[in-house]
Amino acid sequence: MRVAQWLRSPTIGQAGGGRAMGQRSVPSRLPTRSPVAGLRRRGLSFPEVLAQSVSALAPSAAIVVVPSIVLVESGAATLPAFVVATLLVLLVGWCLTQFGRRMAAVGGTYSYTAKGLGPVGALVGGWALLVGYAAVAMSALTGAAVYTAGLLGARPTPGVVAVLAAGLGVLATLCTVRGIQLSARVALALEVLSIGVVLAVLGVLLLGARGGPGSAAPVVDAPVTWGGVAVAVVLGVTGFMGFESAATLGVEARRPLVAVPRAVLWTPAVAGLLFVAATAAQVVLLRAAPLDVLTSPVPVAELADREGLVLLRRVLDLGIAASFLACVTGSTNALGRVLFSMGREGVLPARLGRTHDRFETPHVALAVVLPAVVGVPVVALLAGGGPRAVLTASLTVSAFGYVVAYVLACLAMPLFLRRIGELTAPAAAGGLVAGGGGLVVLVGAMAGITVSGDRAVVVVFLAAMLPGLAWTAWLRLRDPGRLRPVGVYDTATASSVLPGSVPAGRRR
Amino acid sequence: MSPVDRGITGRQPKAVQSALAVLESVARAGAGVTAKEVCEDLGLPPATTYRLLNLLVGEEYLVRLPDLHGFALGRKVAGLAGWASPAQVPTAAREVVADLRGRVRHAVHLVVYSGPVLRCVDVDPDHPLRSVEAVERHLHASAVGKLLLAEQPDWREVVHPRRMHALTPRTVTRPADLDAELRAVRATGLATQAGQLHEGVSCAAVAVRSPSDVLVGALAVSVAGEDAALAAARAEGARDHARQLGPLLG
Repeated sequence: MRVAQWLRSPTIGQAGGGRAMGQRSVPSRLPTRSPVAGLRRRGLSFPEVLAQSVSALAPSAAIVVVPSIVLVESGAATLPAFVVATLLVLLVGWCLTQFGRRMAAVGGTYSYTAKGLGPVGALVGGWALLVGYAAVAMSALTGAAVYTAGLLGARPTPGVVAVLAAGLGVLATLCTVRGIQLSARVALALEVLSIGVVLAVLGVLLLGARGGPGSAAPVVDAPVTWGGVAVAVVLGVTGFMGFESAATLGVEARRPLVAVPRAVLWTPAVAGLLFVAATAAQVVLLRAAPLDVLTSPVPVAELADREGLVLLRRVLDLGIAASFLACVTGSTNALGRVLFSMGREGVLPARLGRTHDRFETPHVALAVVLPAVVGVPVVALLAGGGPRAVLTASLTVSAFGYVVAYVLACLAMPLFLRRIGELTAPAAAGGLVAGGGGLVVLVGAMAGITVSGDRAVVVVFLAAMLPGLAWTAWLRLRDPGRLRPVGVYDTATASSVLPGSVPAGRRR
Repeated sequence: MSPVDRGITGRQPKAVQSALAVLESVARAGAGVTAKEVCEDLGLPPATTYRLLNLLVGEEYLVRLPDLHGFALGRKVAGLAGWASPAQVPTAAREVVADLRGRVRHAVHLVVYSGPVLRCVDVDPDHPLRSVEAVERHLHASAVGKLLLAEQPDWREVVHPRRMHALTPRTVTRPADLDAELRAVRATGLATQAGQLHEGVSCAAVAVRSPSDVLVGALAVSVAGEDAALAAARAEGARDHARQLGPLLG
């Protein structure tokens, strides 16, 4: 389309290309229209931007499910390792803010990576990010359906879960198409509800905790081993996936260069605090519990059941279902926007770069996403996959995708800063440490340290990456011109500078 | 809550001075100056310079150019200077406005825009505005103000939602209502108000755009009564003259 043609014009190619640092930048003519125009500009307040990141992370689901899994593997190493995981994610977040303070992107870490590693690195990271968002949306959809079934009193058989997943998936997508503000507010409300519920349930259980150690105590307090630490750090990090998704709201956030970096940094900070506090509470609770509670799918819910607090368990189910549903909308929003960016650049069909006239959302990209996000889990469930297996397998695939995207973006950061002549020593060190740390997590996960614990998911992830890698290679070899616009963001336009200070370009 | 509060408090005069020095340095060097050049110009530590530049870009006093390493003054700077500088309107532009006045029987006014600021530069001498100050200040209530707000990336930065005072019972005071209205303004390039600024007076404004499509001014017509459609119909008749003004003002 027109925008894509304009992006391929030589002036922009030049501006995006590497120029020796320190050399005076000659102001080219400014465009009159942003390359990512069409989305509703500058409408989201900071809480709404934060809601995007928090909902994609789904903290309440993570803090109920992940700690017990890790406790079984890691024992006493769990809590300190979660602190390490939080610090690593904060460092990754800090690396991303270096981009976020300088450019308002719609493609999240994909657009960021492009500014440091160029189009090929960006497309690899971008495709991994797409896999991450899509797989986590599938996982959360399955989760939402399982817990909704529990709420309705139905047995979560694959058939029931499939029907509910289809319904909830359509609902969530309609929400995202209708408007980013609506879906951000829905996500915010759902998250406040679910975090409040989970904290309340943990509080009530702690108040009623009995003193003596139960049969789970030896497992919970098992001695620290290196293997245990590794498992806890890797799974701890995967608990934060999605925290960066506010980076897809560069156009839609108010004061994006302030709000987006803040959301990307606050989300892991707050989630980390919740994560560590909830883990500490569960250590206390599970130490006093029988072993079969610890190994049950959701020990907190099991505990509530054993205490005879059936209502509490229902409330907890509601909270987790809400968190999962918010995660579906959050991930779908982000997924749609990354596809939208690729559509605008022309590396994917330009239709994906269309926006709805009235709702001002990337409705084509979101509509393309829907069948995949709903279809894959429904087919997997109907084919006989257990809901829990589908949930954990897709969660694991998404974690691979995210980590690949994070590693590339962190490594791109110092290169980006060097290109624009603003590299400092802490930034260079931060990028390398975060990228290296992410790489270690990736290797650990590939070696089998995952929530699902199944090596087959590695194959699934690689298979999901294949089309993206193949397409990137094809473009690189056959049509490198189409790669040039990669990395579009909300560029300065003639109306954003002091009138008269920079010449404006002719209208198209 | 804002990063300015967090990063620089009133107790850190040095930081405020440095930020202003950075702003001055960019203004002096002109569009396209890089962070490194600002750093050398001021003798500040690089990390401090980068942080201040990012802060000023976040607040939109500075803009990063599309190559991401050059800086230019942002449109907010016009807001600092806008009221002080007298607006120069070319004689040819005044003649176009006078020609329109000779053809119609209602009031015709010319305003020019500079960033987030508007000035009534040629008020109809036969039908003067009731209050030039009200038009220039209450952007949410005047037609020319709405035209300006519709052009902003975020109009809330120009008119704080809490400052949307009800000047008459018909003034738009809900941000969501103004949002909807501004969307319509963007689609048509025409803004109206009927009894929202003063009771019993309606006004409509058509945009004057430079050849590079930047909003540089507006032709406003005002009519008696509170009929937005009537004012809009009169303003439609001014579109030709608005097109002629574009190259003269832009």
